[in-house]
Amino acid sequence: MNIKKMNEGLAFLTEKYSVPVGKIFMGADDVVKVQDGAGQETILLPWRVERRFVELKKMVTGKILEGVSTLRFCSITPGGNLRKQLEREFDLAVWLMDVPLKTLFAVCSKDLSAANIVAKLQNDYNFSLECSNKLPQGSEVIDRHEIIARRGVASDRVVDSQVPQSSIYMYNDKGEQRYTDVDSELFGLSTDEIWLVRAAFAVLDKPALSKIWNAAAAQMSVYAKAVFESDQTMLPQSF
Amino acid sequence: MKPVKIAMMSLTHGHTRKYYQTLRENSKLDWVASCAENQDAKTVYELYKTGVPCYLSAEEMFQKHPEIEAVVLASANEKHMEQVRFCAEHGIHILSMKIPTFDKGEYDEMIQVCKKAGVVCQVELEMHYNPVVHRLKKLLADGAIGKILALQATNITLSPVWAFPWQGDPKASYGKTMKLKEGDPRFRGGALCDHPHIFDLIRWLTGADFDYVYAAVAPNLRPDIIVEDMLLANGKMTDGTAFLFDPSWSRLEERLKVPGPGWEIFPKRMEVNLTITGEKGVLACDCFGPNVYHNGAPRDRYAVQYTYFDEWVGLIDEFVDCIRNHKQPQINLGWHKQTIQAMNACYESIASGKIARVME
Repeated sequence: MNIKKMNEGLAFLTEKYSVPVGKIFMGADDVVKVQDGAGQETILLPWRVERRFVELKKMVTGKILEGVSTLRFCSITPGGNLRKQLEREFDLAVWLMDVPLKTLFAVCSKDLSAANIVAKLQNDYNFSLECSNKLPQGSEVIDRHEIIARRGVASDRVVDSQVPQSSIYMYNDKGEQRYTDVDSELFGLSTDEIWLVRAAFAVLDKPALSKIWNAAAAQMSVYAKAVFESDQTMLPQSF
Repeated sequence: MKPVKIAMMSLTHGHTRKYYQTLRENSKLDWVASCAENQDAKTVYELYKTGVPCYLSAEEMFQKHPEIEAVVLASANEKHMEQVRFCAEHGIHILSMKIPTFDKGEYDEMIQVCKKAGVVCQVELEMHYNPVVHRLKKLLADGAIGKILALQATNITLSPVWAFPWQGDPKASYGKTMKLKEGDPRFRGGALCDHPHIFDLIRWLTGADFDYVYAAVAPNLRPDIIVEDMLLANGKMTDGTAFLFDPSWSRLEERLKVPGPGWEIFPKRMEVNLTITGEKGVLACDCFGPNVYHNGAPRDRYAVQYTYFDEWVGLIDEFVDCIRNHKQPQINLGWHKQTIQAMNACYESIASGKIARVME
């Protein structure tokens, strides 16, 4: 992750759209934040501005899906911090549905590289989350976010596919290479960097998000901690 | 090898029509008769024009066809005990649908009567004869991703209740009428009762037993059925494997009385997928993919057309081999008992809101 490049991208956007300036930085515990001109710091939640999740949320709020019953999420990464994975996925579920968690029951692998969770939202929806960080280094993240309703099933993965697709597949003497570019204005940044810049921009553009996002980050930390507690105690955790 | 003279009973199970092709084409079988549970089942049977005579009475069928050596019990779960007793008494080998019974007493009686009569009782868990599962087992046995740490699996389908109403009837499906939990108007007998495959597969893949399960039901997608259609389960095996299962009826369907093209509302009507995390890597498996796809007749709706059929061939091959060579099938009543116990434990967990231990 290149903080300098991200800040260059952020500066480009804030100037182009006449939004107050700010700076992305790496905080304690590898948490990426943005600081505005007044010194206010906000924990970035880049998935909340990522296009596929924005569109999934519109399917819920726009009632393209009716009578939601269950969310099924999966996140498998090459290494990384399981707790952070859990925090992200919990926040995604809560944000997509705009409903907090009510309970969760978790089982984790002995080495804490994987966690399988059955949870309930406050409105009685079921939520399953499968997390693992055992992909080999250099692998692309495999994730899936599915919302199942009486009318409609929405997902960021195509039916009958197990892995993410790319926009370009190239085959030459170097083997297969794949490219997925999602942002013209920030072309050249990695996908993760793009959504972090867009998230920082969103906060600088709408400062009211700062309090909301910091509170959300604190809450998802509570949920993630509860996963390990549940696994250890073999008891459901309530919120 | 002399072909096994085989019959089908009841014809009310969702898998009934899958057997027609295999029973006709497999040279190790001689399909001599069928008997339907009722006139409705017989009427549907006749649509398939198998040419095999169909009776409305099991007694009449066996009287007219004393040569029958084996039956496929294609019936509602609540019928299995009496049918197993009948077959055992008459020395007839049994291919039972995937849930022999959820009742512990009945289950133990089934084991005893079959053992005493010396008949083969094979439980239909056709995933074991699926070539993708064959590859999966081989990869894991070869240590391709190391020891299994966590396993997530789906065994999700549309709901068959409109074509096979017994699957929406708590007593016919579960064996008795039991509420899911306090304050919930629904009963045991729904999607969980239809989806044992992943509870069985994990035992084969890990070599371990179930330790405990936790399960939770969600709001029904079909508010007009009285059994559960959406649920999740997780838990641990005795070797520490952390699992997560979705055995729901989460893919909606057109409410057809006779299954056929146009049945699915969600493009893929059935899925058995696994994601397995091991010490050395990750494996993602679609037991029924890839396929072919269309959005033509009858409903111009994008749909998956499956290309897999091998599992029915392998299942019958094993059944015949066990009959002729006096062997036990890999999915026999004794092996399958813990799978049923784990599924019952899910219902206990739903009722209590806590974990349920599986082994006695």
